[in-house]
Amino acid sequence: MTGRPSRLLLAMALTVASTGGCSSDDEQLTVFAASSLADVLPDLAGAHRQAGGPDVVEVLGGSNHLAAQLRDGAPADAFVTADAALLAGLTTVGPPIPVASNYMVVAVPADNPGGVTGPPDLTRDDLRLAVCAAGVPCGDATTARFGDLPADTEEPSVRAVLSRLVLGEADLGVVYATDLAAKVKVIAPWTQESVCPCVVYAVVALSDRGVGFVEFLASPAAQAILADHGFSTP
Amino acid sequence: MTAPRTVLAAAGLAVAFLALPVVGLLQRAPWTGLGSLLDRPAVADALMLSLLVSVVAAAVILVLGTPLAWVLARVDIPGRRLVRALVVLPMVLPPVVGGTALLFALGRRGLVGQWLDAWFGLTLPFTTAGAVVAATFVALPFYVVAVEGALRSGDDHLEQMAGTLGARPLTVLRRITLPRLLPAMGAGLALAWARALGEFGATITFAGNLPGRTQTLPLATFLALETDPEAALALSLVMLAVSLAVLVPLRDRWLPSR
Repeated sequence: MTGRPSRLLLAMALTVASTGGCSSDDEQLTVFAASSLADVLPDLAGAHRQAGGPDVVEVLGGSNHLAAQLRDGAPADAFVTADAALLAGLTTVGPPIPVASNYMVVAVPADNPGGVTGPPDLTRDDLRLAVCAAGVPCGDATTARFGDLPADTEEPSVRAVLSRLVLGEADLGVVYATDLAAKVKVIAPWTQESVCPCVVYAVVALSDRGVGFVEFLASPAAQAILADHGFSTP
Repeated sequence: MTAPRTVLAAAGLAVAFLALPVVGLLQRAPWTGLGSLLDRPAVADALMLSLLVSVVAAAVILVLGTPLAWVLARVDIPGRRLVRALVVLPMVLPPVVGGTALLFALGRRGLVGQWLDAWFGLTLPFTTAGAVVAATFVALPFYVVAVEGALRSGDDHLEQMAGTLGARPLTVLRRITLPRLLPAMGAGLALAWARALGEFGATITFAGNLPGRTQTLPLATFLALETDPEAALALSLVMLAVSLAVLVPLRDRWLPSR
């Protein structure tokens, strides 16, 4: 009675140990990417496949969060970050390559419930403002462009800011210009030109297999897709 | 009694499994710089806010959860099984889903939330009250389940006897049921409070994140993890210390140790 259960436990422990490690498929490429690339990445992945590359498994998140996961040993072949400074401490294959840039704009829900018309509305007390948290690339870029804003919520990623706007919980928010181009449910309350400081996306290979994806992102085909989605050249 | 070796081994494995992450946290903690990390106003803000939110949530849970547990255990209401399933739902629902559901119900354009906004000018998202709502939503079932379980497992012959001797139902509840229920209420409340203190997903989804208003310790820890891992470790230690400081004395007092 005492022998069998312990053998069972041992078997279970061995099963866990043998399947717990990296299980990346040879046919697939794992790409960690800033969440502001959520709309363009599927198109890039499709073009990459058409060009003969492997399937791309997309892992989207705040660049800081992804960088922290990578530092802790998360398996990935390439990383597209919204802030090249986050690459410090990562073991990379080759140098990072800037592939696109983006800038921050003010967006409102499509029906503009707060009646936002111009920059002074950013500091109005009766409006609810959503921004990215400090330390996240979109948050730092927001502060760089608009200064300290009296936000009602500081979200961990630009996608979270967008969802506040789409759900109508916030009257205005600061998002990427590309989010404005992609989302039908948010609009720009006034015309905002491309003004730097900008966010520059850099891609870096984290394994030998990731090098092909880095080269692909620098190719004219990938650059055309990025431009289609409203990204500027770096 | 002596336990079979295999049972002891499995129990030991479970303890090791639970203790290992705590040990991992402690050995990575920035002990030397801890003072300066914890001295930041943001840490004190998050700690005070967490205590406020979890204590208010616990009070709401006590007031609303006790009658609910009693009704579920003692009153033959129609659809009791359905109500009971609803009550435990937040325990199995991912908190982020719970937070989203709260948005659709109590958010500014939610089912009920739009009327709260129109009639009273009251909006819950991005407010401390919203953080309390999120914490209450996820923690209430822990209290109800504990208290209902105690009510159902204890026999009710004393109550019936008091009834036959002419005591009114409310008197029976106050003089007999509640005093015998106190240990289970304390244990359930401690569990629910601890769950409210650690609440993350529903809070960040429903209430948002703003230091001093909705940024509780778990939210501060999550955001610090992305930018300042050392500060995140320090914040985790604060969470651990506060939880232990409250749960260990409670365990002696309310959770029967023998």
